[in-house]
Amino acid sequence: MHAELEELARLERLVADALTAADPVAELRRAARDESLPADLRAALERADEDGVRLSALLVARLRFERLMQGSRAAARWFEEDARAFTEAFRTYHRSVAPTAPFPGEEGARFEEWLASRRDEV
Amino acid sequence: MIGVGLTLQPEDAYLDLLAGVIREEPDYYEVAPETLWRAPDPETGGELRPNGFHARFAALRARTQRPFVAHGVGFSVGSVAPERARRARWLARIEDDARVFGFEWYTDHLGATVLDGRELLLPLPLAMTAAMAGVVRASLVELQTVVPLAGVENSVFYFHLGDPLDEPAFLGRILDGPGLVLLLDLHNVHTSAVNAGFEAWEYVRRLPLEKVIEIHLAGGTQSDPAWLHSGKVLRLDSHDHAVPQEVWGLFERVLPLCPGLRGVTLERMEGTVGEADVEPIRAELRRARRILELARAR
Repeated sequence: MHAELEELARLERLVADALTAADPVAELRRAARDESLPADLRAALERADEDGVRLSALLVARLRFERLMQGSRAAARWFEEDARAFTEAFRTYHRSVAPTAPFPGEEGARFEEWLASRRDEV
Repeated sequence: MIGVGLTLQPEDAYLDLLAGVIREEPDYYEVAPETLWRAPDPETGGELRPNGFHARFAALRARTQRPFVAHGVGFSVGSVAPERARRARWLARIEDDARVFGFEWYTDHLGATVLDGRELLLPLPLAMTAAMAGVVRASLVELQTVVPLAGVENSVFYFHLGDPLDEPAFLGRILDGPGLVLLLDLHNVHTSAVNAGFEAWEYVRRLPLEKVIEIHLAGGTQSDPAWLHSGKVLRLDSHDHAVPQEVWGLFERVLPLCPGLRGVTLERMEGTVGEADVEPIRAELRRARRILELARAR
């Protein structure tokens, strides 16, 4: 049972990687070739519907965006003033900062920290 | 049997527009507990605190004395190795909420919303193995330490890890224990059936219907063709439109097969209710009640 749970945990990590990747389908297909997973799980990943995977990744990003809009007045203001520039920044944020905040306030704080660190780099 | 319920959403516009309906129509209310919480406060040891809507709903409970049920999405019953501190924080908060609201039962979504520590919020599909059924059951047993009747809802997944028609048997394995219950979401069945191309009733008839404690009725819409490179359109479980006829049909058909049913909840999402929606929502609650009463009279 312990080995099975380890396999399921590995599967969970691979699905999370895919759904936050720029190309979720390519990432999931790559996961399907991971020989450390048992054949039935690899087959399930291989057969996962491409459009459904892409839509799920879009919804994951959208839910994070909504959480951020609720959690950061600065982010909401930026989006209102310049939706295109904000969307570009959000896309980079979503790819580079793992979504570990379940609540809007935490997401907002994390986004603002990330933004400040980028300004410091510039 | 408690009767017909309505979801309460933490949004002023929703609560104000639907105030008359909320006051006059439902026999009970359903809340998503985590939408009534604020982020953990590091100064108080990271515990979860109630937000302003928590107090507003608690006042409604005190005023109406109507039952409340809980339906969350963030407990993530399918996380393989959930972070213990997070679980403990959530259970402590749910326990406090259960004292305030007297939850009749607590359900979460089948699937995982926290994967490898990442909070993705969307219920994502599980490998339907015996080991995974054990993981979900163990999560529900943890929930039962604070709300004795605990269960899962059949979620909408936009992709599956296996045959979606194997999911009813998977749910049966998960819920094989005392006090473990099923929330049957008929719009989710309809949505999954449309998207994955199976017969909705074929899914419903395979479920452990003796475990159904609650039924969800809802509507949805379709994805924008521009969202996917393929241009394909998928049905969404967006709770933003009227309950479709297919869902009413499933409701009438399944009712006589659910001996343990205690509530039928109409779901509606915040941000989707305008003035023109108020009377149709009232009519949907009344339609649900009529169908329920007819089924019980037979």
